[in-house]
Amino acid sequence: MNEREALFRRLAAACGSHGAAAGEPPPGEAPPATEGDRVARFAEAFSAAGGFLLRGPVEAILSDLGEMLRAEGVTALFFPEDDAAAREFAMALVPFGPFTLTTGTEVRGGGAAVTAGFRTAEAAIAETGTIVETSAGGKTLLPGMIADVHVSILSAASVVARMEEALAAFGADPPRNISFLSGPSKTGDIEQTLTVGAHGPKKAIALLLPPERTE
Amino acid sequence: MELTANAFGRNARKALLDKTLQEALGRTTGRFLAHRDAAAAAFPEFEATRERASRIKRDVLDHLDTYLARFIEEAEKRGTIVHVARDAGQAREIAARIARDEGVTLAVKSKSMAAEEVSLNEALEGAGVTVVESDLGEFIIQLAGEAPSHIIAPAVHKTREQVSRLFERHLGEPRTDSIPELVGMARRHLRAKFLSAGMGVSGGNFLVADTGSVVLVTNEGNGRMGTALPRVHLAVVGIEKVIPRMADLPTFLRLLPRSASGQTISSYVSIVTGTRRAGDPEGPERMHILLLDCGRSAILEGKYREILKCIRCAACLNTCPVYQSVGGHAYGWVYSGPIGAVLTPLLVGLPEAAALPDASTLCGACADVCPVKIPLPDFLLELRSDARDQGLKTPGEIAAMKGYAGVMKRAGLLEAIERIGGVLGQFFTKGKGIGGLPYPFSGWTERRDFPAPAAQPFRKLWKIRRGVTR
Repeated sequence: MNEREALFRRLAAACGSHGAAAGEPPPGEAPPATEGDRVARFAEAFSAAGGFLLRGPVEAILSDLGEMLRAEGVTALFFPEDDAAAREFAMALVPFGPFTLTTGTEVRGGGAAVTAGFRTAEAAIAETGTIVETSAGGKTLLPGMIADVHVSILSAASVVARMEEALAAFGADPPRNISFLSGPSKTGDIEQTLTVGAHGPKKAIALLLPPERTE
Repeated sequence: MELTANAFGRNARKALLDKTLQEALGRTTGRFLAHRDAAAAAFPEFEATRERASRIKRDVLDHLDTYLARFIEEAEKRGTIVHVARDAGQAREIAARIARDEGVTLAVKSKSMAAEEVSLNEALEGAGVTVVESDLGEFIIQLAGEAPSHIIAPAVHKTREQVSRLFERHLGEPRTDSIPELVGMARRHLRAKFLSAGMGVSGGNFLVADTGSVVLVTNEGNGRMGTALPRVHLAVVGIEKVIPRMADLPTFLRLLPRSASGQTISSYVSIVTGTRRAGDPEGPERMHILLLDCGRSAILEGKYREILKCIRCAACLNTCPVYQSVGGHAYGWVYSGPIGAVLTPLLVGLPEAAALPDASTLCGACADVCPVKIPLPDFLLELRSDARDQGLKTPGEIAAMKGYAGVMKRAGLLEAIERIGGVLGQFFTKGKGIGGLPYPFSGWTERRDFPAPAAQPFRKLWKIRRGVTR
């Protein structure tokens, strides 16, 4: 008898269920309040998690973003090859600072430049102020993982109220990696003092596109 | 890790005399607790969510064979290699074999109590792997050669100065008293490791049965990188961490960060399912899950089943007056605080850790904050009576407890003793309380001052209050 069979024999004896079908899920708890505007609630929760939301006309977003990236000392921008919106924003931003374009591969190779990684968010969750990114369709997760500043491009239509809706969208077969990103990377490990930028981005910025720019 | 649970008294004395630790404990537990309370108060559905989580976990434990089988089936369908370890020795063998077979020389590890439980690092190092802890707190104590003292804040007992000294000695960094600079040093040093490691080692906060997914909840982002960048991912997880459905995950995500640190959600939640798929630019080519029994199936069988509902949030540590005073190391093993006082004896055997259930005032605060409603005080009490049944209590202690029970059942006798105590107490009282009673009462006063008995018995005060005088 191998180890796995032995384990299941022990479990069956302990549970006394002998392979009986498990119980039904208990009734759901009352959902977190969902009144009010989803986007407004996302904005509030995202900033509570330490993120910065930029909205308004694209020109205004670009100039604000340029200023924020310069303040962080960013010199290089990168985006997924197959992400048109991220490419467009990164390219449009080049005149706003001493920024050059690089690639995720380059950054992963361990370049020393301070980087901003751009990526279109698959969804956002109002309840928790969360940006949702996944590997579905072979998409890269590097911009939100190894960049110094993470810039998410977000459309109002992709904001869902609660975590349940975000997860239900994947059905029974989730992509290999589903990432919930809520604000910058944080640690309190030294003297319990909250410090940003432990391993992931030191700043998390979301650009909320005006409705006319979303498909 | 080495087990010194039965030396709780000695460990506690050492901790009480450690000034740095005392300051850190006061600062941390209080802060975590305040944040937790505020988060719970700001979330009207907190109570309903606790109830639901408790019921889901109870259902899982009642049918663990069914749910675990489903988890394994779904995980294997998606390319994950699932291993099962009966005990710590077997877990170490399996991990070492995986490392050798995969040809790994450098591993980045995120925080995992399960890995601590089986001394996984030792096994990997024995297989020629350099293991680098990537959680900042774990990294700091790895450099210091110490064990974690708190489930979610492993280096709570270290000051910034101590950290800077460690970074100077081990990383060649200049001395600084700036915390952001220290974090930046660790970030640079560990980033290089993430990019070159062959294997990422992690624990797992939840295993999702209906999709075969492993869920990791972190704030730093190390868990994310370690499970996406290296060629191999090894997750070490206890069998009790299963939840039935992906749809159940939000319930637990609403409880864990709030209970642990008062956050609505942690910075990162990674849900990883199987290996890298065709066309994926990152993700491991090989994914191993090492499921640990290590005493869990034995617990499942008995009256302590519900302890396996624990989601390792550490709220019970932060709220516990004993933990607040002595910290994690005093408990002498991986798990500390109330959860440790129950779980350690159950996992390693009561004779090896009979001192731990006594390390509690039974005040009940742990049960009040537990997000999955584990009856911790009941379990502590039950373990004490088990210890007596197993002959682990001294005849003196049993006699004393019997005598105490006899007195407490007789109001008149209690009052008489209270009167005598009120008189005698004056002779032993110094300052705030009674410091040194003679044997057999010395057990109570060795490590703490006992409050002085009141000059008037309670019943007498009560009568005076109500205007009834003798």
